[in-house]
Amino acid sequence: MATTTTSLPPELVPEPLSTGPVTAGSLDDQVLAFPDRPPPLKWFVALAFTLGCFAVGALLIVYTICTGIGVWGNNRPVFWGFDIINFVFWIGIGHAGTLISAILFLFRARWRNAIARFAEAMTIFAVMCAGIFPLIHVGRPWLAFWLFPYPNQRGIWPNFRSPLMWDVFAVNTYFSVSLMFWYLGLVPDLASLRDRTRPGFRKVIYAILSLGWRGSATHWLHFEKAYLLLAGLATGLVLSVHSVVSFDFAVSLVPGWHMTIFPPYFVTGAIFAGFAMVVIVLVVVRESMDLGNLITLRHLDLMNKVILGTSCLMGYSYLMEAFTAWYSMNPFLHHTFRQYVAGTYWWAGWICIGCNILAPQLFWVPKWRRSYPVMLFVALAVTVGMWFERFVIIVISLSQDYLPSSWHVYWPTPVDFGILLGSFGLFFSLVLLFARVLPIIATTEVKAALQGAQPGHEGVAS
Amino acid sequence: MDHDGRREFGPGKVEPPPRSGLSRRRFLSLMGATAALATGTGCPGRGQVAPLTRAVEGTQPGVPGFYASAFQEALSSYSVLVKTREGRPIHIEGNDAHPTSKGKTSLRAIAEVLRLYDPDRLARPLVEGRPVTWADADGRVVPILLEARQRSRPVLLVTGAVRSPSTRALIADLGKALPGMKHVAWEPTVGDGELEALAACFGEVRRARPLPERAHVIVSFEADFLGPDRPEAVAGFVSNRPESALDARMNRLYVFEGGVSLTGAVADHRFRLPPSRAAAVIFALANALHGNGVPLPTSVDPRWLVPFDLERIGRESGAAPGPLMGVVSDLEREQGRSLVMAGTALPGEAHVACHLLNAMLGSEGRTLDASRESPLGLASWRELATVFKDAASGRFAAVVFWGTNPAYTWPDAGLWRSVVAGVAFKATIGSLADETAAVSQVVLPENHWLESWGDHETATDMLCLQQPAIAPLYDTLQAEEILLRWAKALGASVPASYHDHVKTLWRKQVWPSGSPVPFERFWQAALHDGVAGREVPPAPARAFSGGAVAAAARAAADRPAGVLELIAVPAVGVFDGRHANSGWLQELPDPITKLTWGNGALVSPADASRYGLTDGDLVRLETRGAATDLPVVVQPGQAPGVVTVAMGYGRRTGAVARGVGASVFPLLDAGSGSPHLRYGVALSPLGRRVPLPFAQRHGRLEGRDIVRHFSLADDADKLRRLTAHPVAELASLYPDQKYPEHKWGMAIDLTRCTGCSTCVIACQSENNIACVGPEQVVKGREMHWMRIDRYYEGGVDNPWVLFQPMLCQQCDNAPCETVCPVYATNHSTDGLNQMVYNRCVGTRYCGNNCPYRVRRFNFLEFTASKREPESLVFNPEVTVRPRGVMEKCTFCIQRIQDARQRAKVEGRTLGDGEIVPACAAACPARAIVFGDLKDPSSRVARLSLDERGYKVLEELGAKPSVTYLARISNSLGGRG
Repeated sequence: MATTTTSLPPELVPEPLSTGPVTAGSLDDQVLAFPDRPPPLKWFVALAFTLGCFAVGALLIVYTICTGIGVWGNNRPVFWGFDIINFVFWIGIGHAGTLISAILFLFRARWRNAIARFAEAMTIFAVMCAGIFPLIHVGRPWLAFWLFPYPNQRGIWPNFRSPLMWDVFAVNTYFSVSLMFWYLGLVPDLASLRDRTRPGFRKVIYAILSLGWRGSATHWLHFEKAYLLLAGLATGLVLSVHSVVSFDFAVSLVPGWHMTIFPPYFVTGAIFAGFAMVVIVLVVVRESMDLGNLITLRHLDLMNKVILGTSCLMGYSYLMEAFTAWYSMNPFLHHTFRQYVAGTYWWAGWICIGCNILAPQLFWVPKWRRSYPVMLFVALAVTVGMWFERFVIIVISLSQDYLPSSWHVYWPTPVDFGILLGSFGLFFSLVLLFARVLPIIATTEVKAALQGAQPGHEGVAS
Repeated sequence: MDHDGRREFGPGKVEPPPRSGLSRRRFLSLMGATAALATGTGCPGRGQVAPLTRAVEGTQPGVPGFYASAFQEALSSYSVLVKTREGRPIHIEGNDAHPTSKGKTSLRAIAEVLRLYDPDRLARPLVEGRPVTWADADGRVVPILLEARQRSRPVLLVTGAVRSPSTRALIADLGKALPGMKHVAWEPTVGDGELEALAACFGEVRRARPLPERAHVIVSFEADFLGPDRPEAVAGFVSNRPESALDARMNRLYVFEGGVSLTGAVADHRFRLPPSRAAAVIFALANALHGNGVPLPTSVDPRWLVPFDLERIGRESGAAPGPLMGVVSDLEREQGRSLVMAGTALPGEAHVACHLLNAMLGSEGRTLDASRESPLGLASWRELATVFKDAASGRFAAVVFWGTNPAYTWPDAGLWRSVVAGVAFKATIGSLADETAAVSQVVLPENHWLESWGDHETATDMLCLQQPAIAPLYDTLQAEEILLRWAKALGASVPASYHDHVKTLWRKQVWPSGSPVPFERFWQAALHDGVAGREVPPAPARAFSGGAVAAAARAAADRPAGVLELIAVPAVGVFDGRHANSGWLQELPDPITKLTWGNGALVSPADASRYGLTDGDLVRLETRGAATDLPVVVQPGQAPGVVTVAMGYGRRTGAVARGVGASVFPLLDAGSGSPHLRYGVALSPLGRRVPLPFAQRHGRLEGRDIVRHFSLADDADKLRRLTAHPVAELASLYPDQKYPEHKWGMAIDLTRCTGCSTCVIACQSENNIACVGPEQVVKGREMHWMRIDRYYEGGVDNPWVLFQPMLCQQCDNAPCETVCPVYATNHSTDGLNQMVYNRCVGTRYCGNNCPYRVRRFNFLEFTASKREPESLVFNPEVTVRPRGVMEKCTFCIQRIQDARQRAKVEGRTLGDGEIVPACAAACPARAIVFGDLKDPSSRVARLSLDERGYKVLEELGAKPSVTYLARISNSLGGRG
């Protein structure tokens, strides 16, 4: 591919989305070779660690189911604790992937191509982690299927007025559409893998999964159309899922939950948290798998800009929420908001503000948007801060509501922490497995974004 | 059956039309057939099942039986109705045939059904710790009694208070057969001061019954007469509290106390007063009244009262001068319509002063009635100490303990050890292997009173009959039967059984001689009613003799000042420790502190900051020779310098009781004349903190309009502001509920509620509510459907204490209903917010969305794992909830359905007041009224429209069905 001379001034030339000589062939060799090579020792060590964490969580879940929710810290009035915090947290993490793959796709932000696959996979895994919590948090999980509207001889439907019902639909829809979208995007790459793999068990698997993809023009035509349609569908879901999750709170009576700002505020927070998690994982993948030429600092820079932007939106939401509370003249609400920053859990409120609003402001400095230590610090801070945001909303609001006689503090138990650890173990185990058996970068999409692959003005590809 | 087949089943009970080819009925029959085939060869694994071919006499499966019986605790006897199902007692209510208690009883009487099924109960006699037969046990005891008689060595019988004429007669019979037998009845909750002052002032130890219903002004000194064990006093007191806000006829209650009692919480004016100063204040009041021209009894020299200047003493004890002068003017104005009471814990001089004041005011015969009381027959602590010293010196050949547990309650451990060493043979009659049983060679298991015969004297002319409601569960005998066996073995001519003994006595003493009614008919009627009056001439009025006043005044004047005072009070739940093995009573929150499962050292906020203490800090309380470690509870309203500790905790035996709290008894001084008070206690912080199982952790109202409270003296504008809270009708997304027939509702009068918590226990018994234990209470997982919220209003030094019974408000627009994803909670057509336990998945969303926080979640398996005998206490009409489901108050839906069905069978409409939920049935103040809000003539409908009426958190738009009537106080000069 010939490099083109340009008449544009250098500051207007977009930074390339890949560095070094990347060709279609070298890309395939670099990305699709991972499943062929035996994983290094450090991968096994990492997997053993994450699976160990997961095992701890799984055993504690079994313990919970056998003994009762009483092994957690939940109480009256704080009927929901880590269970729902973790659920909302993971659902939030699961927002970045679909946003990157669907919304940025529709906006033709081609820089997404290199990271979309990974982000989508993270979405699937995060939603899987999230899905555990509503299931195990109920008092009688063996009856949780009653939440699904299925025909039964009792003639009882679920209560469609309940936001928890809406959750069931929203999360399930989101998970299935995200899974389809991810899988659809995988099909051409799976076919490449199939073609590259020596005959054997793996080839059979890849052959089945690639659904007979031959790369014909008709295939591509259908693929692009389906991908576009699913992107359109998923775009709506990105906005709707967390809106619906926020209804769990917004529709209720609890002071601090009953806020109209919740749907956009939750969606923003979810994107914010999701991007932070993607940055953390991308940095690790980029370094450990030598993908620096494909996942460039420009990608990370752009991600960090989104984090900065959503952080500002979060700050606005916090201020607006506080203003609404103050303006409502509602003494119960006033009390709750005072509790957020000056109550028993004052530190949780300040962790939120510090991690979610203040820490990302570092990204105003262009150099720091490309610095590993800064971006890891900020991304970790945001992950922690967003977890605490759910803690603030759920625990602080519940612990001091209308009747002072019922007020009670909530403290989690080791089981709560163990299950949270287990969910991280599951998430990273799945990420590690994914990184070794599937193409972690959408090669077909990156090829489309290679220099010169797209027609452009004077040969400059966007 | 009506033609359309609908009316027969009533609303909501109509078989849905078949949906598809397979109707519900058909589906069930097929399923049933399949299940029968599949399990035809197996058997459920719960033992052998045999059909009831011959019905138990007098029982009808599924139909409750009610038996009148009676329960005694210390000096109080309660006439009760025992509800049995399939022959087992499941619930206790007061007997409405009783003329003074009028269907109300103590919460501890209600909790007795749990003690009946206590797995710790002794099942057979023990000799040296080994289970034996009754013949063996008799073989061990009787020779010792025979030998004692032969060698004319006395035998000691130590019991609790004996209020039963039959038991008294039986003990007398035994005494005749065993000359030299010494019987001592002693109650650890009764103070020497009271007994000695009665003897000194009136020459006989006969209490007067206070009649608060006749008193316009009541002044109480440490007398907790509105406690949960005095239902008739509560009823009498609230009868003078107004029904309507503008009804100015209202009594006024002044309370002087060191700690905060229920009575103090209800008081219109509460003075913090160390118990040591009570006598001085009473004398000062007497002096002030005398100064205003109220004559002193002739036997009292006015000069004795000169040192008691009200102004000075009021200033010294920190009482506000205005209200203190109010006491004087009120008493002066209301002579003969006023009542002064002194608590049993107070020293003798305070009781003497109190008798003097009542004599000056002419209370005797008007607000105090001693004419129908019999002598208490109690030994004082000092007398028991003398007896114990005799025992230690080896005077007695044997000692028998019955209904008393001195190994736990006797303060002087050294003396007790020498009693144990000094008496060769010790036997204990009791239902549990308690501390005293542990030092006895022979332990004789006693029937529970629900398995026993007996009678009780609630007044000299009013007897209650106690009949067994169930056959003994174990190989036990009732204590009187044991004494009877001994009397028989000693050759006394006594009836064959205690039942015969009671009957014989009643034939002689209770059955009106010359009555046209044959005795058997009279006996049957007495068994049915549970009470029987008898013709007894009223006792002559007690004559006050002032001789004791001089010494009392001297004692009152030189009580030590400035030292830390300890006052021991009976616990509301476990009393003096005899109920400590009852989970219900352990988990009953103390009405004031809200502490469950244990006691604390209650200190004033001022003392707490002086010592640097906060709730849960362990302190050591030390008196000469004894120390007890207790966690501190900082009690708003506690008098500085006074530490209150509840009795009854720190038991060393009993699976439930053991190790809960700490015992205050070792700190007491049996010889001081006021054993429940101790001056000069040393308090030293231990530097450790323990979590305390409070059922309520936050006591301030935070300025929220939750408990409305005003004073009669408030100006009319304030009243109007407080009573008129227009709430805009909020728009609802969902259509309004329709109530075609009934709409159940409740009204709770906060002016009448004294916070006694009897409703809590009644609800627990009726609705199979679980006990969760202290660890779970610390985590906030207690299960009471009915709770009493307690708030403090005003400064921490002496706040108003406000009570609010809180239960499911059965909202029309119930926030819990819309959020349940599976319809486990839904609305009935008669206004109930129903809870379908079977359907509940346990998302707990309803609990979060309930602004009243009345929903309870089974975080662990609390109840369903119970086995016999504990499971026998369950009310079969109420589902036992497994873990993982939500539960809450149902307005006792089983009672609603029961009354409806009865009305339907009898072909009539339901009458107002026919349905009484357990809480309302138990409430001694009748503060809870239940009924149909659709019936405009019902009491609840009228009360709901009362100008004092309001709904809690009405602004949320949930439309609760419970109306609270604001609390009115009759304080001087407004609520202030």
